[in-house]
Amino acid sequence: MTTNRMRELAELAVPGAAIGAAAGPVAMAMALVVSQPVDWAAAQGLALGLPLALLGGGFGLLLGTGRVRPGVFAPAALYWFLGFPLARLLHEVLAGLLIAGRPAPPADTLGFLAYQAMVSFGFALGFTWLHERFAPRWLHRIRAHNPRADRLYGYYLRHAEAQWQTRENRRRARADRRVVRQPALSRTKGES
Amino acid sequence: MEASKKPAPSQQVGSATGSSAPPSGDPSITTATVGGGATTQERVWRAGRLEPMPIRELPDPPPSVHLLGPTVFLVALGVGMGEAYMWPRLVLVFGPEIRWLFLIGVTLQAFVMLEMARYAMATGESIFFGAARVFKPLMWFFFTAAILVYIWPGHLSTGAAAFEQVTGIPWVVTAIVGLIAVGIIFSLASVIYSLLENVLGILIGVLVVGTAVAASLVGQWSDVTATLGGMFHFGYFPEGSLSKTWFPVLVGAIAFAGPSGMQQMWYTLHLRDSGAGMGAHIPKVRGLRAAGDEEEMPSRGFMFDTDNPAEMRKWKGWRRWVTFDALLLFWGVTMLVTISFTVLARTAARENPAVGDIIRGGDREASLTAMADAFASAGAPVLHGIFLGFIALIGLNATLGLFDSFSRGQSDMTYHFVPGAKRFGVSKLYAGFLWGVITFGIVILLFGPADGPGAILDVLAFLSTFAMGAYCVVLLLVNNRMLPKPIRPGIVQNAVIGFGAVFYLGMLFYSLIRFGVVVD
Repeated sequence: MTTNRMRELAELAVPGAAIGAAAGPVAMAMALVVSQPVDWAAAQGLALGLPLALLGGGFGLLLGTGRVRPGVFAPAALYWFLGFPLARLLHEVLAGLLIAGRPAPPADTLGFLAYQAMVSFGFALGFTWLHERFAPRWLHRIRAHNPRADRLYGYYLRHAEAQWQTRENRRRARADRRVVRQPALSRTKGES
Repeated sequence: MEASKKPAPSQQVGSATGSSAPPSGDPSITTATVGGGATTQERVWRAGRLEPMPIRELPDPPPSVHLLGPTVFLVALGVGMGEAYMWPRLVLVFGPEIRWLFLIGVTLQAFVMLEMARYAMATGESIFFGAARVFKPLMWFFFTAAILVYIWPGHLSTGAAAFEQVTGIPWVVTAIVGLIAVGIIFSLASVIYSLLENVLGILIGVLVVGTAVAASLVGQWSDVTATLGGMFHFGYFPEGSLSKTWFPVLVGAIAFAGPSGMQQMWYTLHLRDSGAGMGAHIPKVRGLRAAGDEEEMPSRGFMFDTDNPAEMRKWKGWRRWVTFDALLLFWGVTMLVTISFTVLARTAARENPAVGDIIRGGDREASLTAMADAFASAGAPVLHGIFLGFIALIGLNATLGLFDSFSRGQSDMTYHFVPGAKRFGVSKLYAGFLWGVITFGIVILLFGPADGPGAILDVLAFLSTFAMGAYCVVLLLVNNRMLPKPIRPGIVQNAVIGFGAVFYLGMLFYSLIRFGVVVD
């Protein structure tokens, strides 16, 4: 894989990775607000943010390579149904390693995974919602040098153009109707 | 030609005397005479005694099932203290089985949302306009109720109090700064809807991701299964739930499940501004700074040709779009947030039984603080700040959504039905209501009831609940009498909305007559 291709793919992963990673810094910042030690807060933030960032980036790659269609919820729900429990398991293990020096997996791993899979629906919904907000703007910035981003951006663009065109047609129709009515009103004023 | 007696074009549409004109009040598509010197015939839809709606083309529905839409406003307004506090409290008091009432409440609201959307997307008119078409005093009732219920800044106080817990900034300061900031931002925006949709979209996305992560950190499998399982214990009324103490609380919690009060009615205005269905033919409301760019607001909405199969296909596409919004975004997000907060409340009570007692006691602020403290002391200090941050975020969402919605609804009714108001334009009327409610809010926060945040929310709960029963009745009348037959609701939808009217009004008056208490 060439460096260029790697860079292109990495760029596609940015919005998803950023949203996934946001869980970490938010947790860390909140821990600091309530006066927890910096290293403790950083360990929690890293252990949670890193796996979610990697998985979030992975979802961006699936979108960028055309394996998943943008704006559709079901693939995102399935992706996080598998990915979110895995990320939380890694979080538990990593946090234990970083804070206590030994991994601390949950006692009932299966029950833990089942619970996390259930919660994943909510995470998937919020993730997709935010991704749909941020991704088009990011793709617009990188599309000039990234053909994959350009293709994905094209999808969003076509969607926006279709809506814009419809709106313009209606606006024009409204304006035309006003023009047709205007002379009649002028005549009304002029006549006795 | 006796031109001076000729009415203005819009009046000519309304006063059509075409040969096919029906008896007054009977909705039907007829031909009317429009235009000035160049007389043309135009088909119109007559609904009620107000101006008929010209027939226009229904725009194409969105090309794909897209995630983002005006539901974001309903979610922002709907996910509030009912989800974050009232229902978790009831679960701690009566057990998770009580949640069957929440399921009914939110599902009912999803149906209401779909029926509100039916009228708004078919006509581009708000439900207030629809109510006026049936009987004008109905609309004036909602106009007055909105002022009485929503002019108070109570929705700001709980969120601002949570913010004070996290930052130490006094809640009154936060609330007043927030009020002024909202006014300035909305006034500077070019198109208010677009700005708000973006801001609320991000805030709700953060809230949804955050509550899911928080619930995943502290909850247990048993919490979720119990919470979910409790939703299907239909008919469960534990001992004490029908008492004078708890029944009004229960009624209030059901009314606050999802959007409460008039929030669903305002959704019709957001749908219109988002360009959904025939709303695409109506110009958008602009901020005060861009009021000069405003296109003239038509004096009524439009109808599409329901006899045309191609148009009906598009209509079905729009219905699919809004149904997706109602089921996944509205129902799904509301359920998710309340399940997450219930899991958090159960965890807090498990870690510290004293918290359970405080929550059962009913002091909202003390309960929320106690829950946050419980997370801190139970080895999850991160969640102290996160939890209070979410409460502040819910308050911010509600404030942004409510101020916009209130101003939008009142300016719409004023523009169309207060004589002489049209000369100001909708954008200036919107700004007038916005700054009016902000000024009143600041005065109340500074000199009003000083018995702590949250207290002023409860006083107006009666009117709020009554409005919900009333809008169900209005929906039945408007959708069944003011729309063409092919797009009227079916028997199932009518039955559910009829049930909603009986449900809200019945519970409210039962509580009032049986216990002498409205809602709590």
